[in-house]
Amino acid sequence: MRESKIMLLQYLTGLFILVLGTFHMLLLSVLAPTSNKVLYQYASTNHTLIGGTLYYSTVTAIYHTLLWGSIFELLLTFLVFHIFNGFRIILSEQFPGAKAEKVITYSMLILGLVIFIWGSRTIVLMLLQGGI
Amino acid sequence: MAIENKKGWISWFNPIKYGFDRWLFAMHRFTGIVIGLYLMAHVFETSNILRGPLTWNNVMVFLDWPFGIHFGPYILSALLLVVVFHALNGLRLTIVENGLMLVRPYRPEYPYKPKSLAGWNFALKIVLGILMIVISVFGIVYIFTGVIL
Amino acid sequence: MELVLKGFGEVVKTVTFRVRRYDPEKKEMPKYMEYKVPVQRGMTVLDGVLYIKEHLDPSLAARYSCRMGICGSCAMIINGKERLACQTQILELNKDLIKVDPLGNYDTVKDLVPDLNKLFKNHESVKPYIVREEAEPYGEYIQLPEEREKYALFTECIMCGACLSACPTMATDDLYLGPQALAQAYRYIADSRDAGFNERLNLLDSKHGVWRCHFAGACSEVCPKGVDPALAIQLLRGVLSKNVFIKYKQNPAKLGPERASIKEVL
Ligand code: SF4
Ligand code: FES
Repeated sequence: MRESKIMLLQYLTGLFILVLGTFHMLLLSVLAPTSNKVLYQYASTNHTLIGGTLYYSTVTAIYHTLLWGSIFELLLTFLVFHIFNGFRIILSEQFPGAKAEKVITYSMLILGLVIFIWGSRTIVLMLLQGGI
Repeated sequence: MAIENKKGWISWFNPIKYGFDRWLFAMHRFTGIVIGLYLMAHVFETSNILRGPLTWNNVMVFLDWPFGIHFGPYILSALLLVVVFHALNGLRLTIVENGLMLVRPYRPEYPYKPKSLAGWNFALKIVLGILMIVISVFGIVYIFTGVIL
Repeated sequence: MELVLKGFGEVVKTVTFRVRRYDPEKKEMPKYMEYKVPVQRGMTVLDGVLYIKEHLDPSLAARYSCRMGICGSCAMIINGKERLACQTQILELNKDLIKVDPLGNYDTVKDLVPDLNKLFKNHESVKPYIVREEAEPYGEYIQLPEEREKYALFTECIMCGACLSACPTMATDDLYLGPQALAQAYRYIADSRDAGFNERLNLLDSKHGVWRCHFAGACSEVCPKGVDPALAIQLLRGVLSKNVFIKYKQNPAKLGPERASIKEVL
């Protein structure tokens, strides 16, 4: 692909990440499906979680919602592209040369795919558990 | 025999003489790398949800109290700063790197202050900078106290 | 007359020059050497370097020619920033220690002399001339003053190479075209007489072309002529990113009346 098209995608995914990432942040605070909206709620005697946004049942409840699931999946897709293309650019500036270029491009592609599949696996399996 | 005199990446972080924008460049790159590495860790971390409530809650508590002290909020705050910076500076770069909101070519005049870094570009930096501070304050207060301002 | 010349030739203070020395004939790493230079009013860093050469160490090599900021031979890193040595007043620097380095990101030939081949090669590769389909004309292409304003800023470049030395991408990526070449590419693409956009596109849009600029603005910050190469690169990128959707079309200017005198010469 032409570099200008790749960079256009880089800018576009950046903008999408900005929007979806905002939702992700709000989900951890304002939109959290808990009553008190704190991240961690510990038992008063010891370090055991008993509630909060990051408590197991809250997180699963979020993952089981189709809307959040699809937001996460989209966010993951855009992030993986944005980040691994960014890494490719940084690395190819650090190690210029035709051969290094190839190694960098393919290793970033593979690494990106691995992360993408690993993340999608969590999202999809959680959605399936939620009964979709 | 001429010898090589490349400055290398270390020179990105010595931008005192070159003005503010080179700082932004260095920080944008640095924060980008940090976020990229964080995403990999984050994808791995969240995949623990498939391993049941006990594991998940233990992982969460471990990340909040990694070595016996309450360190989680500091990590989260640092991450928030990094993300907000990269996001807002990235927004500015998206505009400006596509030739928008820049001055038209002008006549250079002594002492040759570059106008591409001033004008709307500068205004964007100020506005987004203020926005960054506001968001970070809200976020960090929330992370530490759980209070939504 | 007396009044004007008062204080002329008087030594105001003595500064230390710390100069990076490299001799290709000795198998030694570059090292810094210090020289004490008496400074008169109006002395530039280049004068200081020449003072060293004349009085203290004749083996010091530096490149210069016009001594008036026209030729672009004398760019050096002075106190950590790229400047023209002939345009930098020692007293204005206001320091007792002046550190002089050859330009970075180039090979160093000797002492303060960088190997500017990279700069010229990259400049040449973007076709810094007006490209037209037809044969050599016997007249001028018509251009309005407003059309000239669109690129006039970027014609000011004296090819000193300071911008490549300041560029953070250039610091690691030596295949990058560099601010100077990209600014010149935009200068010709924005020229209403030019028709060579498509010929330049492949190189500009390549992996080490225009997109490797990250708008750190260092090139514009150090440019001794105020060319603002960063502005040219962003505008060029604007053209390229629009070109993805709508193919960029140049309307090369029309040929003016033929001139008999030109015909005779050719
Ligand atoms: S753009 Fe400025 S700094 Fe770069 S070579 Fe031309 S005159 Fe020198
Ligand atoms: S000697 Fe010509 S520009 Fe300095």
